[in-house]
Amino acid sequence: MAEPTPKQILLDPLINKNPIALQILGLCSALAVTVKLETTLVMAIAVTLVTGCSSAAISVIRSEIPSSIRIIVQMTIIASMVIMVDQILQAFTPELSRQLSVFVGLIITNCIVMGRAEAFAMKNGPLLSFMDGIGNGLGYGFILILVGCFRELLGSGKLFGMNILTPATEGGWYQTNGLMLIAPSAFFLIGLIIWVIRTIKPEQVEAE
Amino acid sequence: MTPETKRTFKVAITLCFICSIVVSSLAYFLKDIQEDAKESFRQQSILSAAGLWTEGGDPGELFKDNGVSPVGIDLEDYKPEGSDLSEAKFDMAKSLQNPELSRELPSTEDIAGLKKMEKYSVVYEVKNDKKVQTIVLPIRGKGLWSTLYGFVALDLSEMDKGPEHIKVAGLTYYKHGETPGLGGEVDNVRWKDKWRPKAKTEEHEASAIYPFDSDWKVIVEVTKSKTTDHQVDAISGATLTSNGVTNMLQFWLGKNGFGPYIKNLASAGDSAPKAATASLTNVQHN
Repeated sequence: MAEPTPKQILLDPLINKNPIALQILGLCSALAVTVKLETTLVMAIAVTLVTGCSSAAISVIRSEIPSSIRIIVQMTIIASMVIMVDQILQAFTPELSRQLSVFVGLIITNCIVMGRAEAFAMKNGPLLSFMDGIGNGLGYGFILILVGCFRELLGSGKLFGMNILTPATEGGWYQTNGLMLIAPSAFFLIGLIIWVIRTIKPEQVEAE
Repeated sequence: MTPETKRTFKVAITLCFICSIVVSSLAYFLKDIQEDAKESFRQQSILSAAGLWTEGGDPGELFKDNGVSPVGIDLEDYKPEGSDLSEAKFDMAKSLQNPELSRELPSTEDIAGLKKMEKYSVVYEVKNDKKVQTIVLPIRGKGLWSTLYGFVALDLSEMDKGPEHIKVAGLTYYKHGETPGLGGEVDNVRWKDKWRPKAKTEEHEASAIYPFDSDWKVIVEVTKSKTTDHQVDAISGATLTSNGVTNMLQFWLGKNGFGPYIKNLASAGDSAPKAATASLTNVQHN
């Protein structure tokens, strides 16, 4: 296999190697924060930054990391960055930070972040690792925002809190779909998205 | 120790050191901004308890527009105390550290799990025609994992008919560490709505939660199935947090909390000449 170009590294995770749709990673937060687009967007940005920066940092010191403690070293770096993101959110967007509650902290356990650190950053240079992290974060964010759009639009008739389909409760015609407001709907939506992607790109279907 | 083991220790220690410096210095620099944000949210929950909060509003201006005024009170003789509310004795967190500004609660009285209580406190009065219509009281108490900090607002507009006519106007929490999705549902808009008085509509009669009986006994409780208008449905899956809410209301509205202060307000209201219109206007609908 030819060495991938930086552009491929950045853009492949969007559709071709999407961490949620292909690798089925990071589902927990995808279920939890996608009720509203605003929180979804913040979560997507936070994960993208954390994945990019932690992959770069881990890649810089990859030759120094003793292999016996490499997982814990990766965790320490990831956890520090997540705490920093959490602190910044608490200071500048307190309302969003309350809505995201524990899920910012739980980025630490998001398999995508550590997955990229272990699979890519330990073997490649800082710049490529950074791009790989950002790319995977964007791939995660892409699915999240897609799910968030459907959930907010169908669940409360809004996008970013603005009425698009005016709900019946506010004098409009749209009967909101309560299922979209609860977590299982994200499962269905992600399932549908995976189905669509694999129909277009049959090579992603696992061999039986 | 092999050189490899030594190196492992060295890397681990250096990394932890660098990470802790970075994280703690960031936290240190952001502390002031975070404190401001927290204070603003606290004020927002005062307004929201009284039903005066509008999304995107400015707490300071809403305080002014709605005639909300903070009043410092002495929790031992229940008289208004001091006009400068920036004094250290009104800072709850600091008072509790200071033995002169707080007292230990004997375990028989300490139903809300507070251990200590402050000697001075700040309550918020919402006045309309010079009469206190709504009063917002700071409350706190143990839930399952954490102490919950919040405000309960009482609608006193019909208090002259007797303590059993005092209504809960709202209940909000601004700080707690309960499990998100279970005890954390004390923040849920729908649950908070259960505390608010409802006006009569085509579908249901007017309703409200009445915390006192005619003898000033606190009878409000959070229970599994609401049968009287002194009760509120518990949060499912959060029995201990729900019990905590009951306990802290029992405590703070009771004789060791703000009970005597509300009584004072009631007796002051009886002796003062009443404006005929005052009892008709309701601050809730402003």
